[in-house]
Amino acid sequence: MPVWLREYSWRQTGSVVFLSLPLRGVRVTAANIFCTDRYLKVSIPPFLFEAILYAPIDDTNSTAKIGNGIIFFTLYKKEVGMWDSLTLENASKEKLQYLRENAVLKAHEKAKEETEAKKVTKQEHKKYALEATMKIEEAERKRIEDLKEQERQKVIKKLELWESQQKGLEKQMRVQKERELSEEVQQLKEKKKEKISKTRIPNEEPSKTRLKPAKGHGSYSMFSENLKEEQLPAPRSAGTIKINFTSRVFPTALRESRVAEEEEWLHKQAEARRTVSADLSELEDLKEEEKNPDWLKDKGNKMFATGNYLAAVNAYNLAVRLNNKLPLLYLNRAACHLKLRNLHKAIEDSSKALELLKPPVPDNENARIKAYVRRGTAFCQLELYAEGLQDYEAALKIDPKNKTIEKDAEKIRHIIQGTIQNS
Amino acid sequence: ERPQVVSHVQQALSYTLFDCKWVPRSARLLCLGSAARGTGVVQLYELRGGRLALLREIEKAKPIKCGTFGAASLQQRYLATGDFGGNLNIWNLEAPEIPVYSVKGHKEIINSIDGVGGLGIGEGAPEIVTGSRDGTVKVWDPRQKDTPVANMEPVQGESKRDCWTVAFGNAYNQEERVVCAGYDNGDIKLFDLKTMSLRWETNIKNGVCSVEFDRKDVNMNKLVATSLEGKFHVFDMRTQHPTKGFASVSEKAHKSTIWQVRHLPQNRDIFMTSGGAGSLHLWKYEYPAQRSKKDSEGAEMGVAGSVSLLQNVTLSTQPISSLDWSPDKKGLCVCGAFDQTVRVLIVTKLNKV
Repeated sequence: MPVWLREYSWRQTGSVVFLSLPLRGVRVTAANIFCTDRYLKVSIPPFLFEAILYAPIDDTNSTAKIGNGIIFFTLYKKEVGMWDSLTLENASKEKLQYLRENAVLKAHEKAKEETEAKKVTKQEHKKYALEATMKIEEAERKRIEDLKEQERQKVIKKLELWESQQKGLEKQMRVQKERELSEEVQQLKEKKKEKISKTRIPNEEPSKTRLKPAKGHGSYSMFSENLKEEQLPAPRSAGTIKINFTSRVFPTALRESRVAEEEEWLHKQAEARRTVSADLSELEDLKEEEKNPDWLKDKGNKMFATGNYLAAVNAYNLAVRLNNKLPLLYLNRAACHLKLRNLHKAIEDSSKALELLKPPVPDNENARIKAYVRRGTAFCQLELYAEGLQDYEAALKIDPKNKTIEKDAEKIRHIIQGTIQNS
Repeated sequence: ERPQVVSHVQQALSYTLFDCKWVPRSARLLCLGSAARGTGVVQLYELRGGRLALLREIEKAKPIKCGTFGAASLQQRYLATGDFGGNLNIWNLEAPEIPVYSVKGHKEIINSIDGVGGLGIGEGAPEIVTGSRDGTVKVWDPRQKDTPVANMEPVQGESKRDCWTVAFGNAYNQEERVVCAGYDNGDIKLFDLKTMSLRWETNIKNGVCSVEFDRKDVNMNKLVATSLEGKFHVFDMRTQHPTKGFASVSEKAHKSTIWQVRHLPQNRDIFMTSGGAGSLHLWKYEYPAQRSKKDSEGAEMGVAGSVSLLQNVTLSTQPISSLDWSPDKKGLCVCGAFDQTVRVLIVTKLNKV
């Protein structure tokens, strides 16, 4: 329940009402005062003062002065006239309620309008500022353009002067050339005359001294060049310099190399060689060399060459147990399985080899081609021609120039087309 | 005030432009390239007023990659060209039907050509050097038919690397001459023609697009080598250390392949580089306080200076593949880009640099 403040005093003139409201011991701020044109409220919990004004006031211009424990209102009346009292006495409860709400609404609307107006002015200010900066920048740009234009004009004038100079020079040179040519012609004619008079072999000479007009001016000046040749040194004696180009681990220029991938591959290889899958308990009876995967690989290769495929597989198996990261072991074992017609195992091994042969670099090209071809063959022998063709095409992509792979791929395509037609 | 690059004339062409060169002692320029139908094109333009007037157009069997006037005398001004078929031809532009000199010098395209001994610059015999995709660099004398006077080729069995650029240098008297060649794997090799030996080699990791000495006709002073991936190196060639070679400073620019470097004929410390994004950068080299110093064993080694950017400008979206300064007018240059336009530019205020 609010505490109503009823101690107030007021006086009036024809156009103004002065109202003073004492508030002891409470702090008042502007937020506590609420005023519309017919309603005035001061609410400082728990204190409350409200007044339904006798007549409307101009609430925008009215003021409230807060200080010294008292609020002093100066309310400007809308219509000049003396009020009987500050508040409307006979206000019913509903009317009061209605007035209150009305007041609040009005205040809201006013606030809204004010914000709108503010926004609009802000926008206009911004626009103005923008236009001003644009103008300044334009002016700056224009100034620079003008400077450049001036430069250009100056320079072009100089250039035109120079051009006409050059033309003059050209004419001079041409005249000189003609003069020289005519001199040459005279000289040679005289020489010819001499020669004819001196020797009696006119047939041989003319070929040397005859002037070939078809060649044009060039030949005349070439003759004059010959006369001057004593001043120039003779052509250099032929020599050859053999050169070497900077070597690189991978023979590609920096722009072509995929250094990152190649580093990765080298790293992997180094790693693979180092790993030794430890299974030492069983392998104790093996001889020293039999524990070396490379030696076992060589053994396997030899046995494959002689046709002893089962033994080769055994050798490779052991090698894999010792070091399961060498792709070549799986590759060669796949070849054995193919020969033994263990097609599924062949596919498995080729796949494992391909996995280990990532990343794809020129270094492991050959190995990858072999892996794809072997897997492709296995698929075809299992009559999975589509997969087989895929692998052959992958091999072809790596080495497009290989004729055997191309031929085999063609064969598979024919078979596939044949089966589609038949079924 | 910094030098400004002013674009004077722009001319659209109907063929791919590979090389553009000023004709010495004139206001004319030459454009070399490849037409759409696979033939070579040589066009001669003259600078008139604010435009280029086409004086002559010559069509040849094979597309032409590069050309130089370097070995021609001032009166004759014969053009030496290298084409896509590996042929070296020297043409008299007044009578271009038949070449004055012709040889099938290489098995593959001639990527780069340079000439020395002509134009009143330098001393000694006129010679032309060509570098080709077949990995060889050959030096030719127009007075000797069919065989090169020097041949720099890979050792038997060595896999070859494309030679992308060649340049003559050190031609300060009748005997001395060097050829510098850059390859696509980043090798730079310096061949001494007087002793017929390899004088120096190094590798800058990225393919070398262009090399040039600051002057061909003086004791080797500086060499600029540009490469892929936006880097170029300036080597100080006055002091060669027995193991470390030549000192160098390198700079990153253009953010793309640097296609060409060309030194200003009138000032050997200013050069322009052209990039794959269609931009041109103008640089100035500053020498260090001391150009050589002694290392721990007492051997002389060079000290590289520093390079500062004077100006840059972007002209095109396509690479600017060729660049040439006019030897007669300071600051006048022509550049050709892969957007089939040739542009004549003027660089101002070079006197005050």
